[in-house]
Amino acid sequence: MAGARYLKIWVGGAILLTLLVCGLAAPYLAPYDPQEQVLEHRLRPPTFAGQGPGPHWLGTDNLGRDILSRIIYGSRISLLVGATTVILAGLLGCLLGALAGYFGNLTDEIISKITEIFLAFPFLLLAIALMAFLGQGLVNLIVALMMSRWVQYCRVVRGEVLSLKERDFVVAARALGGRDLYVLVRHVVPNTLASVTVIATFAMAIVIIAEASLSFLGLGVPTHIPTWGSMLSEGRVYMYRAPWLTIFPGFAIFVTVFGINLLGDGLRDILDPKLRGRR
Amino acid sequence: MGGKSSAINRREFLKRGALGLGALAASPLARKSWAASKDRVTILHGIGPDSLNPYAHSASPTYGIWQHIYEPLVEVDYARKEFYGVLAESWEFQGKKWVFRLKKGIRFHNGAPLTSKDVVFSINRMKNDKASLQRSNFRDVVEMQTPDDHTVIITTKTPKAVFLDRLHNRFMMSKAAADKYGDQVDQHPAGTGPYKFVSWERGGNLVMTRNDDYWGPKAEIKEVVYRKVGEDAARVAGLLAGQGDVINNVPVDEIPRLGSHPRVRVEKVAGLRMYFLAMNVTLKPFDNKFVRQAVNYCIDPQAIIKYIYDGNGYMVDGPVPSHVIGHNPNLKRYPNDPKKARELLAKAGFSNGVEVKLYFSPDRYPKAREICQVIADQLLKGGIKTELVSQEFVIFWGKDGVNGGKLPFYYVGRPFIDTDTLYDQYFQSGVTRRIGYSNPEFDRLMKEQQATGDQKKRVAILQETGRILMEDVPFVPLYNLAEVYGAARNIVWKARPDEKILTSEMKIKS
Repeated sequence: MAGARYLKIWVGGAILLTLLVCGLAAPYLAPYDPQEQVLEHRLRPPTFAGQGPGPHWLGTDNLGRDILSRIIYGSRISLLVGATTVILAGLLGCLLGALAGYFGNLTDEIISKITEIFLAFPFLLLAIALMAFLGQGLVNLIVALMMSRWVQYCRVVRGEVLSLKERDFVVAARALGGRDLYVLVRHVVPNTLASVTVIATFAMAIVIIAEASLSFLGLGVPTHIPTWGSMLSEGRVYMYRAPWLTIFPGFAIFVTVFGINLLGDGLRDILDPKLRGRR
Repeated sequence: MGGKSSAINRREFLKRGALGLGALAASPLARKSWAASKDRVTILHGIGPDSLNPYAHSASPTYGIWQHIYEPLVEVDYARKEFYGVLAESWEFQGKKWVFRLKKGIRFHNGAPLTSKDVVFSINRMKNDKASLQRSNFRDVVEMQTPDDHTVIITTKTPKAVFLDRLHNRFMMSKAAADKYGDQVDQHPAGTGPYKFVSWERGGNLVMTRNDDYWGPKAEIKEVVYRKVGEDAARVAGLLAGQGDVINNVPVDEIPRLGSHPRVRVEKVAGLRMYFLAMNVTLKPFDNKFVRQAVNYCIDPQAIIKYIYDGNGYMVDGPVPSHVIGHNPNLKRYPNDPKKARELLAKAGFSNGVEVKLYFSPDRYPKAREICQVIADQLLKGGIKTELVSQEFVIFWGKDGVNGGKLPFYYVGRPFIDTDTLYDQYFQSGVTRRIGYSNPEFDRLMKEQQATGDQKKRVAILQETGRILMEDVPFVPLYNLAEVYGAARNIVWKARPDEKILTSEMKIKS
């Protein structure tokens, strides 16, 4: 079933790539300024070129802003928050995990206890608490999500390193006189990357949903920046009168998360040694 | 097994057990599904009490909640724009003195009779309780005397013609209860009102039951449940599902849907609350008059009323709406002129525009988030870049927010029937920290009108004070809105313009 495996990666990758293009080329793709309010045109249903006063392919929202443009711009926030959080959390988690696993003893004790403390809180609850404490803002949002996301990396990397450091090639590297830092960076960490990549893709999907949830609750980025979560939040009052306010951003979140999960799934199929054996 | 000696066999045990469990489960279920019964009304409200201290707030709907349990000396007849006595039988304005005579034969829920000592105790608590948000009303009170059990003489520093307004919504509690419970008195609320306290959970239900020994006409409905439901959509859904019988702040978009529902009706009334944007003149850049005027030139309330409220609002043309005492028909609002705003900004030294933060509480006022976004857009056209900051009402309104004088620019509403109420609370020096405005000429006129017993003269001075305010504009007057409620059709009730939902004014049709 190698074909299906690669299909997952292709489809997931294509969705992620589309998102990336949308985010990067937002000013060229969006037909309108996402902030531009035209109150006279509020709550217009989706219309196509030639119909009505202006083509709003996905309709307009409660303040007469073009929904398609807001979704395109919203992809920037989702992508930015998703990618930055995953990378930063990954760096922090991998570093601490590698230290804990490689040095063991007291270092391991301390780092493991810290991860346990973080694991004691449900992910979203921790993020909400941190946002309430730090206040609204893009940087704060990324920090809050990172703080609640690094633990997974740390646990997995620690486990991998624990087993890797007993392997012959690591022992050999040390026997040849390699210092700890050299052995860690050159021989141990590169071998954990497969698992880290898989965690990262799933984490990205989770972080995008978390960003939308926090924005929905009014705890995410400031109100004037369009995000999918805040679009849902503002549109829910109009669920009966103008359902397109919630359907389209909701669909955008769904497709994105679906695509990333697909990609992660495909990557795991290829990289996981246990599954690899069944090829 | 199951010998004759055992009292019940297995089958019987299961039967009885099931019955018992059923009964247990049914009681809370009944509470929910039979909400619109003859005996109970459930009110789903956007805000609820944050504590059991009846003085630790200053929000109109919350006064309405407490008014079930506690009562004031006087209340307003909105149709006639005048006061009538509730606990007070009569009153007299004698220069620096106000003499109140209390009604006789009124008893608190704890059985103690209402006396002048309770009034003095309550006012002292409003003045001195650290948590009180109502103390500014009594800042001029220098002495209170109780010549007999039913007379209170209140002396003020200077003559205070508007004192009745300060007593509006000031509730009287039992001194006997306070003597008995000390610090814990709020856990045992004892007022004179038509309903008695039963229980309260923070963020949950406030339950009250009818006071069958009430001194006045008894309420018809036996039990009231106030439940805080912050979300507009959740309140509407709750009403439609029968979980609540009355809801407040119905979004105007839901009016058609509620109106055509077989079990629910819409209740509308022109509200007393004037919405405005407050600018704290002690904080940058609002310390500059030109900036404040520029903000005024940017705002177009008509667009908000038309598009966001579907026409359910009334623009304020001048410092106060035309239906209140003290309105001056010659004072007009700043026209909508973004170009003029840019000129004024340049004059203030902000030729490249200016950045501000606008604070609002999304659950407190209807559609606040949308309105503030429209306002931000209107400000942008005049060169003012606005960042919106959304806050929980408790934080927004508290010591780190509006009442601590910490917010530079915020969206707020104040209900009033007499212009003095607004001016005193927001603009007179040293009364509250909400705006930090201070103008000696304004203060002088305010003191003068507050001391003037002749209503005509007092109104003339009030109209003059408005002129100063329109020049300094520490605020942007916006509009009054229609107060929109949803209610079960079997509830006979007329909404009040002051946002209070008083169950004693309701009946349930059988």
